[in-house]
Order: sequence, then C-alpha cells, then structure tokens
Amino acid sequence: MKDGRTKDKHVDAVIEVAGLSKTFGSVAALDDVSLSVQKGSVLGLLGHNGAGKTTLVNILSTLLRPSRGRARVAGFDVVGDGVEVRRRIGLTGQYAAVDETLSGRDNLILIARLLGAGRAEAAARADELLEIFQLSDAARRRAKTYSGGMRRRLDLAASLVGRPDVLFLDEPTTGLDPVARRGLWQVVERLVKDGATVLLTTQYLDEADYLADSITVLAKGRIVASGTAEELKGRAGSRNVSVTLRTDEAVLRTTEVLRRSGLDPAPDDEDGLVLIVPVHDSTEIATVVRATDEAGADIAGLAYAEPTLDDVYMALNHSSAVR
Amino acid sequence: MSTVTEQAAEGRPAIDEPGPAAPRYQGSGILRQISVLSGRSLRVLRDPAMVLPGVLEPILMLTVFSQVFKSVSQTSAFPPGVSYIDFLLPAFLVTSAVSAGLKSGVALTTEMNNGIIARFRSMPIHTGSVLVGRSIADTALAGVNMLALLVAGALVFGFDPAGGFLGAAGCLAIAMALSWSLGWVFMAMSAWLRRPEALQPIGGILNLVLLFASNAFVPVEGLPGWLRTFASVNPMSQAITAARDLSMGEVDAGTLLAPLGICAVIVAITAPLAIRSFRRSA
Repeated sequence: MKDGRTKDKHVDAVIEVAGLSKTFGSVAALDDVSLSVQKGSVLGLLGHNGAGKTTLVNILSTLLRPSRGRARVAGFDVVGDGVEVRRRIGLTGQYAAVDETLSGRDNLILIARLLGAGRAEAAARADELLEIFQLSDAARRRAKTYSGGMRRRLDLAASLVGRPDVLFLDEPTTGLDPVARRGLWQVVERLVKDGATVLLTTQYLDEADYLADSITVLAKGRIVASGTAEELKGRAGSRNVSVTLRTDEAVLRTTEVLRRSGLDPAPDDEDGLVLIVPVHDSTEIATVVRATDEAGADIAGLAYAEPTLDDVYMALNHSSAVR
Repeated sequence: MSTVTEQAAEGRPAIDEPGPAAPRYQGSGILRQISVLSGRSLRVLRDPAMVLPGVLEPILMLTVFSQVFKSVSQTSAFPPGVSYIDFLLPAFLVTSAVSAGLKSGVALTTEMNNGIIARFRSMPIHTGSVLVGRSIADTALAGVNMLALLVAGALVFGFDPAGGFLGAAGCLAIAMALSWSLGWVFMAMSAWLRRPEALQPIGGILNLVLLFASNAFVPVEGLPGWLRTFASVNPMSQAITAARDLSMGEVDAGTLLAPLGICAVIVAITAPLAIRSFRRSA
C-alpha cells in the first residue's frame, strides 16, 4: 500500500469512476459513466440485459480495459495498477464460478492457496467460510451436486476468501428460486452490516431496494437516473391496486365510493370487471378495501404491485430507448 | 434455509472485518500457482467415473482397429516379420495425443464460459499459470491413459516390441510430448474462439487429417501419390515413425530428438499465442 494509493479528499470513495466509456467495434457498451461508491456502502446498478452493467463490473475488476475515462478501486487505477486492484476485490459473476469437479471445501482451499495462504491456514479459512454460508454439511461433496442456491453461496464465499475491500456482485440472484434468492439477500445483507463495500448489479428493483443504499439506473451504457430506491419509486409514480369484482353493477358502485374517498379509480382496458386504483401509501390501500366493502361488492381478486424496473424506465421516458 | 442473520447474533465469526488495512494474504509465487492449478485438474484421478472413460475408449478403439485392419499385415508393402499389433500400437499411442490435446482446448473453453476462468483472472495471479497448470495436468492425464493402453496392448493383444521396455517407454515419451504440444495448439485456438462448439469441428477435422493422412494405420507406400506426399510430411507421421523405430529397437539419439524438437517448436510458437489471447479475452 506504500505506493500509488490516493491520500486526498476522496479517500472515502472506494470506487471512483470518471467519464468511463467502452466500445466494442461501433457499439458503445458504456458511454461516459461517472459514479463513486463510499466505503461501507452498497451501490445498486440497475438495468436490463445489455445496459452495460457487466461491462462496468468487468472494467472495475480489471478483466476489461476501458476505451476512455478512468476508474480507481480501493485507491488504485484499474489499468495502471491492475494487480493491486485484484488483491483487494472479490468478484461474483452471473455464473457460479466454481470448479464443479472439486468439493466445496476444496474450491475454497484452492482460492486461499492461490492467494498465498499456507495449507493449514487455507483449510481453516475454508472451514470458517463454509460455516458462515451454511455449507459445512456439504463441505466434502462435489460442487456439481449442489443446488443453485448452494452454488451461489459457495461462489460468494470464494469471493470473500481474501477479505476483499470491495465486492462486485454481478446479478447474484439471476436464475435462483425465490427462497434461495431471499437466502442470498440475507447473506449479502450481513456482509454489508460487517462493513463491506459492495457494487451490486441487478435487473430487479426490489433487489436493489432491499440491498442497496443508493441506486444508479443504466440504459444503453448511460446513466439515466440515480438516487435512493424511494426516490426512484417516487419517480415511477404511484403504485396500483387492482380490484377484480363480480358484476358491472358492483364496479359502478365501488367506483362511486372510491371517488368519494378521494381516490381515482379507472376500469382496466382489458377486463371491465377490474378496477385499477392508484395509491400513494398503505392507508390508501386500506381505503380501497373499505370502499369495496361499503359498496357491498364482493371482491373476486385483489392485487398490489410494487413498481418494477420497467415502470422506472417508463417514468424516465426511456422506455423506447432501453429495450 | 434458516437465516444467516439469526446466526450472527449467536456470535458466529464475522464475514468481513471492517476496513482491512492490507490484503489478508501476501500473494503466491508463479510456481505455487502452477502447482496448485495443475493439482486442481489432477484431482479427477481420484474419481474412477472420470478416469475410466478416458482409459477404456482408446482400448476399445485399439480392439476395433487391430481386428479391422489386421489384413494389411499380409500386403506386400508391410514390413515382413512384424506383427500388426507391434506396428499399430506405437502409432495408436501417438494418435491418441490428438484427442488428448483437443480435450485440453475444450476444457479451457468450457471453463472460460462457466466463470471459473473469470474468477482466476480477477485474482492476483499470472494468467499464464492457469494455462501452464492445465497443460501439465492434461499431459499427465494423457500419460495415464497411454500407459493403460500399453499395458492392455501387452496383456491382451500380445504387444511385444523388439525394443522391449525401453522402446515402449520411448513411445510413451513421444506420445506425451505430442499431446503436450497439441494441447497448447488447441488452447491457443480456444482462447481465440472462446466457444467449445466452435472448437469441436475444427478439432475434428484436424484430428481426421492428422490421423488418416499419415502412416498410422497403413504404410504410406500403399497410398495414392498425392496422399503419400502429404502423409510423409505430416508431423504425425514423423512422430509415429520415431515411435515405431523405438519400439522395434532401432534407437539412436536422432530418433527421439527429432519428434521432441518438433513438439518443442510447436509449443514455443503456440504457448505465447495462447497466453496472449487468453489474457485479452474476457
């Protein structure tokens, strides 16, 4: 650390990206991206496939060279000081990057040995991580036999062997079932509580909402929005409650009561028995249910949807530009 | 799945101590990297299910070839007084190097696509170590398969070369050297092509040409003119001729050195190419 590490006012920014661009042939995968991530915080990088998320992660983890611009990770330049950067990062990509022919334990020992740990030290570190990630029981089974969730946890454990300053999680839950997804969220949540700095990419607004302190939305290689999850959801506008009723008459009566309660229901375009009611907080959700009851209408179906990444894009008026 | 956060409260070890001042480990030297990485690939030796197909396939092929082409030993171009198995097995050993080399390349593309290579590349290790480790392990594994072929040849098919044990050992050395060098050729191709499905057909064609346009199964004298010319300059024929001479007991320094020299030249050209394009590919 003696050389090259910045000791200026930005010392708390563990990831600093300025004017970063990457072109493949004539395609701009990243276009003039600037951002910074403070020590101990989580940045969620939100975007669809092809938005440039993985390209950014690959540049920051020194797998790719940028076409223009600069990036520093843990105080070192990703181009000039690649080795120093690699000594301080952990990367968990879209695929569980484990050797399937080895046991979970041997995978972790392999990584520790490559990082310079002695045999006993490597084994101890492996056992420690296996316990944390609840893989002790499967420690000596080959990774090939692991479930998707177990593989991701092993992959994450492998990224943490060297206690990195910065952790890159590139779509860590893609392809996982909801239970495994939750499980992985909890692991990441705990990492963050323990002080890790994380850059997380995801296609899911709820995932970024759950894990990230701030969110940057990427579309076609450009940053189109950034802020907290609440700010972005706010920009996406209100959330909708949709009520399915049984008769046209019930729809009319409920609409009337809802209007009196200060809400603005509209019939669904596709199904005349469905009312879409924009709401702004949970009190208004209760109002919808009460109004239906007051109208004496029988509820056949009730749904509430959080805004998705698509809603955010739509609100940002980038919907046509991002797909 | 029980929650991880619950366990934090029970005083389990912290996943990450906040703000480590320096990396936890001091890094490893290139020799350690190579030995750890080749050891990784050699782990398959512990698993019979992984080893057996590689051992049995060439033995099965040998069975087929030794029966189907046996009649060439009755033709006039065939060296008199030599049994067909003594003629075939050294060549068979050498030709098995092609599929062994192709296996290296395919394994590399597979790992480039499943993310493990990205993990290695994001670590503070030399990218070349990954390839050198694989080449050492795959050559050793090929050696195991070839040894099994020699033993089966001797016990089942009556392989009894005039060159004796030393001659057979020389054949093995040539075959392993060729498999090592072809491994680098195919790894260079995979680092460049990146996809197993792109590598497979090229490997298949190369295999076919090197194998059948050679003196492996029939003496070149019996081939039509244009094919004979190609078969004579085919490096595979050179290695096979050397292996046959060794097993027939016609040994001099040049017999062994010529094919080993060719292998060394192939590696000297393809290894830097492989490492360079491997470093560039993401």
